[in-house]
Amino acid sequence: MFRREIDFLGNHRLFLILSITLVVVAIGSLVARGLTFGIEFQGGTVINISQAEGVSIDEVRGAFADAGAPGLVVQSTEGGGYIVRSTESDADVANDIFREVFGSLGLSTDVGDVATIGPGWGRNITRAALLALAAAVIAILLYISVRYEYKMSVVAVFTLVHDVLIVLGIYALVGREVTPNTIAALLTIMGYSLYDTIVVFHRIRENSMGLTRSTFTVMANHSLNQVIARSINTSITSIMPPLMLLFFGGETLGDFAFALVVGIVLGAYSSIGVATPLYTAWKEREPKFRALAKKFGAA
Amino acid sequence: MDPRQRNLLSMAVVLVLAALAWWQFWPLGEKITQGLDIQGGLSVILTAVETPETPVTDDVMDRAELIVRNRVDRLGASEVTIQRQGSDSILVQLPGIANAQEALDALGSTGQLEIRDVVSSDPTTGEVVLGEVLLTGDVITAASIGTNPQTNEIEVNVTFDSEGAAAWSEITGARIGQQIAIVLDGNIESAPVVRDRITGGQTTISGNFTPEEARRLKTVLETGALPVSLEFSESRLVGPTLGQDSLRKGVFAALAGLGLVALYLAAYYRGFGVASWFALSIFGSLFLGVLSLLSNFGWFALSLPGIAGIVLTIGLAADSEILMIERFKEEVRGGKTYRSAARHGTRHAIGTSLDADLVTFVSALMLYTFAIGPVRGFALTLMIGLAIDILNMVFWSRSVIITLAETVIPKVPWLFGVKGGEADV
Repeated sequence: MFRREIDFLGNHRLFLILSITLVVVAIGSLVARGLTFGIEFQGGTVINISQAEGVSIDEVRGAFADAGAPGLVVQSTEGGGYIVRSTESDADVANDIFREVFGSLGLSTDVGDVATIGPGWGRNITRAALLALAAAVIAILLYISVRYEYKMSVVAVFTLVHDVLIVLGIYALVGREVTPNTIAALLTIMGYSLYDTIVVFHRIRENSMGLTRSTFTVMANHSLNQVIARSINTSITSIMPPLMLLFFGGETLGDFAFALVVGIVLGAYSSIGVATPLYTAWKEREPKFRALAKKFGAA
Repeated sequence: MDPRQRNLLSMAVVLVLAALAWWQFWPLGEKITQGLDIQGGLSVILTAVETPETPVTDDVMDRAELIVRNRVDRLGASEVTIQRQGSDSILVQLPGIANAQEALDALGSTGQLEIRDVVSSDPTTGEVVLGEVLLTGDVITAASIGTNPQTNEIEVNVTFDSEGAAAWSEITGARIGQQIAIVLDGNIESAPVVRDRITGGQTTISGNFTPEEARRLKTVLETGALPVSLEFSESRLVGPTLGQDSLRKGVFAALAGLGLVALYLAAYYRGFGVASWFALSIFGSLFLGVLSLLSNFGWFALSLPGIAGIVLTIGLAADSEILMIERFKEEVRGGKTYRSAARHGTRHAIGTSLDADLVTFVSALMLYTFAIGPVRGFALTLMIGLAIDILNMVFWSRSVIITLAETVIPKVPWLFGVKGGEADV
């Protein structure tokens, strides 16, 4: 009755090795390189020049230095513009610098933007972001516990921690800046990735009702095979729009897109490679399913 | 009503709603309000700085807000929004950047309440020429509103500290019958005539005030004693060209994403893929309709994070379609007839999607509730999109799949990637 099936759970050692490697590399790069936080978290100024044809990076750097901007980092962007970061955290001063630089480079301020965050405000933003993160995790836990069972929610949160660690590791590795946008995108995409996990769990629960003819593991693997086509397809369709955003969206939107893309890929992997094996291993310890395992032989 | 009629009715209602949505949101550029990061402008968050002696209370914030409003009014900018953010901050948004520098200078200055001489005042135009500064606001310790027991007029009572009381007695004594002006940040708030020499540090201002005017004057007088200073927490100035450029990129990315998803769905699911184009179009129409409706009431402005939220929901809406199609096909493989597979499969798929949508919704809601700054726009569009996705699934996609299963699919099952579900098999 079963069509050809992939033995996902039989390969759980492979997943385990992969996940452990990823987490170790992630922690390693977090320790070694650390995260770069955006000005929103620590105060400072970002100035964006979207069109600057014929202006070299040295000219830009020179103009900012002349205007007295402290702690300069100048980066060129794909569309022929520049992003300039400075530690200046006084809005009035930053705007004077902005005007002066655009004037001396002969550019219209229409093609630029300047954002300044005061030093105290960063603490506020960080606190709010952490609060949102904690509240979301608790709410999701409650939802899954009420709707399904606590074992699923514990596994789901464990998977979440796994995913977040790896994502942060990737941020540290590629040196991408962590902004409030990154956190917002990660938070929601983690919620969404749980969705993949929930779909599998949903099916496992459905199939486990009155299970007498196979072990829990065999049934769980069968469940995974049942939903795999849709899991792959939904991951592909959900990653396409953010991918377009990453390629064509420009700076702010790219910020969201990078976190979304990374989160979707990891979420798809971890629901198969982390959440289901863990949950299955845990369920196999229940007396009911242990009896089945005895009857049909270990999976 | 039999189920077939109910499905047709449900589809018809959704189509009418989608048509209404088009009428509501077209042309998009005019119907959906653009945020400052897209249309260009200045957005500033000012935060009251607390000192150990003076906590930031609601009352202090009322006064601070009035000072800010006053400073912004003086700029003569139109369409300014001033909003309280949290317990200690004020958000000021000015579209356009023509007078951004001026605005920053004005917002950054410290509030100055003065009592000044009036050199001359034109009774017809109301124009007042101000003279010397007699007193500054820091000598005012309190202001309150009262009613004159004899005339029943609303009055504003002012209390000075001892230094202010002495000065006030001297000032009023020398100017009986003359006008003086109460000036906040250079704006004349009131220009009463001195009736008598006032000693004892208590004075009353009367002048046919409405309760509203009296309250305002009271607040103005209290600003003299505003114990906190306002500091820039955040300032964002976006050039209009850059903003429009971001919008173009965002819209292009969204359309490209939508196009890719549509192609993929059609390639993989054939007949169902094409059916899902309609579902996605309706989803998009309703989404934009709701956004423009909210814009109408001034409750929504599209920001860049908002666009990111919209783009993400395109993928989520496609997910819901896939869930239904896959479940239907699976039920057919399991031996059900097309008809019962459609009923059964869509109901199960909606249950699954609902869980998924709700979990994402909860994350977005937490983000919207607790986070500060532009990311709330992302959470908002995401929540709206998820709500529409659920409605769209229940009232459109489910009806379409059931109707197709009853009419077209038995005739051309290969087009939908299924076989064997004819009722008589």
